[in-house]
Amino acid sequence: MADRCPYLEYRRESGGKRFETERAYCTAAEAFVQPMRADVCNDRYGLGHATDCEIFLEAEAGTDAGRD
Amino acid sequence: MAYDDYLDGKPVIVTAALTGGVHGKEAHPNLPETPAEIGDAAAACEAAGASIVHLHARRDNGERAFDAERFQAVTDAVRERADDVIVQHSTGGTGVPTDLRAQPLRTDPAPETASLDMGPLNRYDRLTSENTRATVRTLRGEMRERGIKPELEVFNDGHLNEALRIVDDLAEPPYLNLIFGPGTLSLPHPRSLLTLVESLPAGAEFNVLGFGRHQLPLTTLSVLLGGHVRVGLEDNLYYRRGELAESNAQLVERAVRIAETLGRPVASPAEAREIIKI
Repeated sequence: MADRCPYLEYRRESGGKRFETERAYCTAAEAFVQPMRADVCNDRYGLGHATDCEIFLEAEAGTDAGRD
Repeated sequence: MAYDDYLDGKPVIVTAALTGGVHGKEAHPNLPETPAEIGDAAAACEAAGASIVHLHARRDNGERAFDAERFQAVTDAVRERADDVIVQHSTGGTGVPTDLRAQPLRTDPAPETASLDMGPLNRYDRLTSENTRATVRTLRGEMRERGIKPELEVFNDGHLNEALRIVDDLAEPPYLNLIFGPGTLSLPHPRSLLTLVESLPAGAEFNVLGFGRHQLPLTTLSVLLGGHVRVGLEDNLYYRRGELAESNAQLVERAVRIAETLGRPVASPAEAREIIKI
């Protein structure tokens, strides 16, 4: 089973937005993500968060920089 | 020529792109995602004057769905609620295998028309919807087998080259959707539209799609050039600067009003079938 992005959560509510069904939320961007991007977050269809998501890569780079 | 069609008062086909496969309710609370919501939106758009509805399917949480079963639920909901509107299924799908993108062609009944992307398109920072010639050939072949009219999606000038490669193999008239916006789309400017229209094959019918703030001016120009128009929340969330559109139907109503003001009647679904030979 494919991994999924560690920054992905499913939420019903955040930032003044509320939904009937839990939706993909990016804790790195602190925002609900577009449905197309959610496929990247979930590593579906051969897409992968570690290679295809600039938000993940920038967040990880920031983390690494902090460790240095 | 196209301008003669305007002068002759040729009916305008209005396509409503209801949902799309990119953004969802996180961008607009009234964007329809469930089969029932899409069906209701389709009926409202048909009542407002749309003769074609362009459909994508979503999961319950708004994420993209490509399986035939979900498209069946969507198209059933549309057919239950709408009167005679023409159903067009998307075969687009960034990052999605070709066989899955063919699934929307396998509903019962098959869609009368389906989109066929003519070439690559960048998404975000690191994705490309590849749309190789092999993919186009495979999807086009299945459309032919199932009697589905392809709408050739011309995202930029180079894609018109790709369309011209296959146009002789298509049933008359070829039906092209000229697309304008940011990134790898055609430059969103009236001169780009004029150039593309001048380069279309003889007898072609064309539709115009402008993203965001370009939807209103470029679809209006399409009316003057004898073309057809596509509007809807898939392509544009706003009615005017800073003001979200209320609904897909509101955007259709404006397109209809503009066409009629400019002297072109709006095509009924039956007239649209006659124009693009479905």
